[in-house]
Amino acid sequence: MPATESIKQITNPIKKILTSEVGFLVLSLLALIIGISSFSEQFLSAPNAVAILHQSSLVLIVAIGMTVLLISGEVDISVGANLAFSSCVVMAVINQTDSIALGALAGIAFGTSVGFINAFVTTVLKVNSLIGTIAMMMMLKGGVFLFTREAIQNHHQLPLFPKIATGFVLGIPVPALIASIVAIIGWVIMTRTKAGRLFLATGANQKATRLSGYSPERVKFAAFLLTGALTGLAAVILASLINAGQPTAGGGFELIVIAAVLLGGTSLMGGRGTILGTIFGVLILKIVDNGIILLRLNQDYQIIFPGIVLILALYMDQKRRGTTND
Amino acid sequence: MPQSNNIKSKFSLFSTSRGNSELALIVSLLVVITIFSFMSEYFLTVRNLTNVLGQASIIMALAMGVAIVLISGEVDISVGSVVAAVAIPLVEIMNATDSLMLGIAGALALGLMIGAINGYLSAYLRINSLIVTLGTLFIIRGFVYLYTGKRPIADTGYLENFFQLGSGRFLDILPNPALVAGIIVIFFIFIMRHTRFGRRIYAVGSNAEVASLAGYNVRRLRFYCFIICSLLASVGGILLSSRLGSAIHTAGMGYEFQAIAAVVLGGVSLAGGIGSLFGVMLGVLILAFVSNGLGMINLPTEWQLVITGLVIIAAVALDAFKKKSR
Amino acid sequence: MTFKNLIRGTISGIALSACLAASTAFAAEMPKKVGYITNYATHEWYQNVIKGMEDRAAQLGFEIEVIDANLDMAKQVSAAEDFMARNIDVLIITPVNEEGVVPILRRAKANGVPVVLEGNPAKGMDVLVAICDYDTGYHAGVASGEYLAAKGGDSARVMNVGLPLLSATILRSNGFMDGIRTIIPGAELTHDLDGAGSADRSQEVASAALAVDANINVIYGINDSSALGGLQAWRAAGLSEDELLVVGTGGEGLAFMNEMAKNGPLQLEAAMFPEKVGFTAIDAAVSMFNGEDLPEHIVSPTTTFDTASLSDYYVLTSDTTRQIQWDAVNALVAPASCMKYASDL
Repeated sequence: MPATESIKQITNPIKKILTSEVGFLVLSLLALIIGISSFSEQFLSAPNAVAILHQSSLVLIVAIGMTVLLISGEVDISVGANLAFSSCVVMAVINQTDSIALGALAGIAFGTSVGFINAFVTTVLKVNSLIGTIAMMMMLKGGVFLFTREAIQNHHQLPLFPKIATGFVLGIPVPALIASIVAIIGWVIMTRTKAGRLFLATGANQKATRLSGYSPERVKFAAFLLTGALTGLAAVILASLINAGQPTAGGGFELIVIAAVLLGGTSLMGGRGTILGTIFGVLILKIVDNGIILLRLNQDYQIIFPGIVLILALYMDQKRRGTTND
Repeated sequence: MPQSNNIKSKFSLFSTSRGNSELALIVSLLVVITIFSFMSEYFLTVRNLTNVLGQASIIMALAMGVAIVLISGEVDISVGSVVAAVAIPLVEIMNATDSLMLGIAGALALGLMIGAINGYLSAYLRINSLIVTLGTLFIIRGFVYLYTGKRPIADTGYLENFFQLGSGRFLDILPNPALVAGIIVIFFIFIMRHTRFGRRIYAVGSNAEVASLAGYNVRRLRFYCFIICSLLASVGGILLSSRLGSAIHTAGMGYEFQAIAAVVLGGVSLAGGIGSLFGVMLGVLILAFVSNGLGMINLPTEWQLVITGLVIIAAVALDAFKKKSR
Repeated sequence: MTFKNLIRGTISGIALSACLAASTAFAAEMPKKVGYITNYATHEWYQNVIKGMEDRAAQLGFEIEVIDANLDMAKQVSAAEDFMARNIDVLIITPVNEEGVVPILRRAKANGVPVVLEGNPAKGMDVLVAICDYDTGYHAGVASGEYLAAKGGDSARVMNVGLPLLSATILRSNGFMDGIRTIIPGAELTHDLDGAGSADRSQEVASAALAVDANINVIYGINDSSALGGLQAWRAAGLSEDELLVVGTGGEGLAFMNEMAKNGPLQLEAAMFPEKVGFTAIDAAVSMFNGEDLPEHIVSPTTTFDTASLSDYYVLTSDTTRQIQWDAVNALVAPASCMKYASDL
């Protein structure tokens, strides 16, 4: 079958690179951990680990979707605005129905429907996804304030809701557990299933995918839906973590997510990237963030370092690969 | 299609291969102006129309630069941070020397430096320019925060010509920022359309390999484009600073999205090589008049965001549809 | 236009002197159109400022139009231009940035449009309506010290979830620490954080800070989002709430009312009554329109209340609306001037 032939050609070199690429990220992560912990003994403490895991989870969950989306050759800038809007939907539905399950479902459904519209605009209306999702970001930022003028509180004071995100299962914080499950499922899909190979193939060569009998539009549609749904899931956790729906949340979230994914070695051009890389990308950025607070550095460095790390990582990745983006 | 030929010859002044979409943009702009003229008695007044030209001038300068980089096949999203950064040397030097000219020289020098860094990393080291400029977007903003301590730097000398630059009117009619933006637009339309340099940028953007074979120095051309873009962003920063009478650390935040939206609305392809600066100017004006008109009819900000988002998607989708059916 | 205003000023001046005996400042002419350019209309604080303005304008029989600068100083300048193009009678502005409004003030003056500033002072202004940030923090600090002392405590270790971006919020934090030290001289500022004024960011930075050192007993937030974000971080870290005191600032929305209703760690609220600020700003706008002499700074009152006295000032009328108790708020006496200003920083 020509389809599997072409897909194999694409996946084989990726597997080869994978080992060295993740190895590099692991080394950077270790260097960071050793560096920060030698200056601050609290860094390796259990409560700090929990804090890092809580903050990484939100980014990681969305970053898994973004990885798949970037691999298939598209991007979603609206995730931050979607996160804020979905968190409001979660809280509003819980207030309406007194049911946490329904609220969570509504949040995920809302996030998914935003993904659906993004997919429609990109694959059917043929609007470049960078522009389409910037426009979606604007509409969501405006729309959320038409939906609610202020932060939505947990009106019925359901005590269980804020406990979900702050709880532990088997000693692991719940958000980290959810993020791990999402990451494992993402990893299995991308490395062990036909769907994963289709995402990679679509991003690498859309025409070849079409020639081998698959619709690249449908593959991209799936990637947008996934990103939207995972953003909705992250919104449930965010709402639980701050016990409210916050229309102003998620500022700059999209850039952090995309930075983490790119740091993890996913190509902006599509066709290349790994879930494992994204996990390390998220951890590195969040540990740097945490380290800056721990070392009591000026918090303004929290936006300077990711920028430098991002450019440096891409440059070194390129050097190792021995190729350029031409 | 005889009809489109007819239109093309009529508008030969602005004609490129995309004269058609420029006509569509002119019609859209007129439609926008007509609609709002009926909805608000204050909209179609000389005072308001010239106000809008002044208000649009900053995004106009940014959009011209972003468009040139996009046409060359790269992208620059660091412009919003450049706007804030260049105001610092501008105001600091003015306060020290009481000279607006020296301040402007300092601002342009910083802009030149940032452009050279973006250009070197993107064009010579061949690191993906979206990532480079995403990185510098963070880094520059971070340094602006660090330097200013997140406090405004006031124009303590109250230089009259600085105030006039931002708030005065040329011949008592046209706001000075609009005059500056107008000169920039005309100058760069000429450069891009009628000089060898301009034509080479189009050639590099539409096919870098072919351009390289034709003997063009692709890297250097793109390097220049980044510098031009950063210098134009600096002009935007100078104009904004003069309108605000100070250097403000949060200035220009999110302007990169506004500029890119206007550029794409104006018909520039994100893939490079296609687009006209005349179209970009119309794109900027359409968004500016929509924003002003919605304010004039007292529509809340949230609706303005929603409608702007819809306008962008509709315009780009329509353009994609036209291209497909052609 | 200036001629028109001149006539208006003269007429209202005559009207004013004629009505002096009536002792009401507003027997004179009312403006037809007052425009308000807010800093950030999506924030509960400003929504309630706008609500207070609309209520007061309705009482006086005119309408108020609002444009949101959405934290963008450039948009604020544009909005002022748009309002002036629409021949507005008086402009009320909450500056996005103290320096950035200076050129607008100059242009408004050239156009003969009176301007009332709300919140932040700026060079060249005629009148400012604002609360005293330092005093608000200071009195909350004193109340916190007394609260801890009454419980037999003699130490205070404070986590300040601050916002160093704005002089107003720095003043609140400084005031709080100075206030608490009048009762507990050894009060220590254990964590001084930048929570960006938002609940999610505050939760994030407070989590990291608590991981470093959770040995604190007071969380002070420069607004309610910051205080509650800090409290959520405390809860996320699984720490005991028995000995913790949380102090919010602003009382801008419903979040603090819900939390106080639980009678948990949020025991004290430094309320700043945004509705009252809006009310006062409208009165100032009318006075400006009539050419009256006003003090440069009109102080809007603040007070610190606890879970018991909350209902004296605010009552929940439904899940999503609250009603300010005007009689109680109007009875509060504001100082003639503040203990400290931004210029003292």
